[in-house]
Amino acid sequence: MRRSLILGGLAVLAFPTAALAAEGGTGGWIAPFAVIAAGIGMAIAAGLCGLGQGRAVASAVDAMARQPGAAARIQTAMIIGLALIESLAIYTLVIALILLFVKGINFA
Amino acid sequence: MEAIEHPPIFRLPGIPDHVTYTWLVMIILAGLAFVGSRHLQLVPRGVQNFLEVVLEQFQQMIDDVMGSEGLLPYLKHFAGPVPLPLKPLMFVIEIISHLARPLSLTLRLFGNIVGGHILLAVIFLLMGLDGLIGWALSGSVPGAIIGGLGGIVTIVFTVGFLYPLKILVAFLQAFIFVMLTMLYIAGAIEESEHHAEQHAGHH
Repeated sequence: MRRSLILGGLAVLAFPTAALAAEGGTGGWIAPFAVIAAGIGMAIAAGLCGLGQGRAVASAVDAMARQPGAAARIQTAMIIGLALIESLAIYTLVIALILLFVKGINFA
Repeated sequence: MEAIEHPPIFRLPGIPDHVTYTWLVMIILAGLAFVGSRHLQLVPRGVQNFLEVVLEQFQQMIDDVMGSEGLLPYLKHFAGPVPLPLKPLMFVIEIISHLARPLSLTLRLFGNIVGGHILLAVIFLLMGLDGLIGWALSGSVPGAIIGGLGGIVTIVFTVGFLYPLKILVAFLQAFIFVMLTMLYIAGAIEESEHHAEQHAGHH
């Protein structure tokens, strides 16, 4: 079932190709694909970042429950770890913004 | 861009502004050095004292990071404790890692702040004179009801949630920036301390 899901998801990419080829598309081949790439890339990055941060917070809360005296230091380390994990999703956001605003605008 | 252009103190014709400012800084530094080095005394006072303190601080900082020997032993530590055939690869990886650190700091800060700005811009687009409030003011009855309610909800949401969120993100990113800078400098310093201990042990 997973392979059919992946193939179905990739079939979405056939739509801009068909639309552009039907109208005899000359310019503007990159713009639809850039927008799709920005959207899917940001979605994957946000989802995986959520998983990673969830595991970090779960371990931090477990450790704080186990040793309440060290709660302040564990909280500091947790905040630093969360910001570092989130920065990976921020890198993807920057790439998505570049794709949208440089290649996603159809000047035709 | 005219709105944010700052008129300079003076503008040399045909030369870009940043070049003029750099020359001004060069003239100030050279003048300071000249004034400080005129009647050199063994026990410094005044400007000479101040300049000597500044210079010694710079030298101490570079000494801390790179060790008293200099640049080449510091670079040799990049290779790390791996067998000899792998050392060139480790050296390249360390160079790339050291170059990626300012880049990652920059991109992290830029993405967080500009992401908040883009979110706010979209909210204003949905809510402003082209959106909900424009529909509320256009005179049609469903527009007034839906636009009014939606406008009030959006304003409450923005002022009550988005602005505090942006302030929290700014505070957190400043904290992370400072923390990472301290960690990078500490990682660079401990190489030279380890080296200095070895040399003290030998002698």
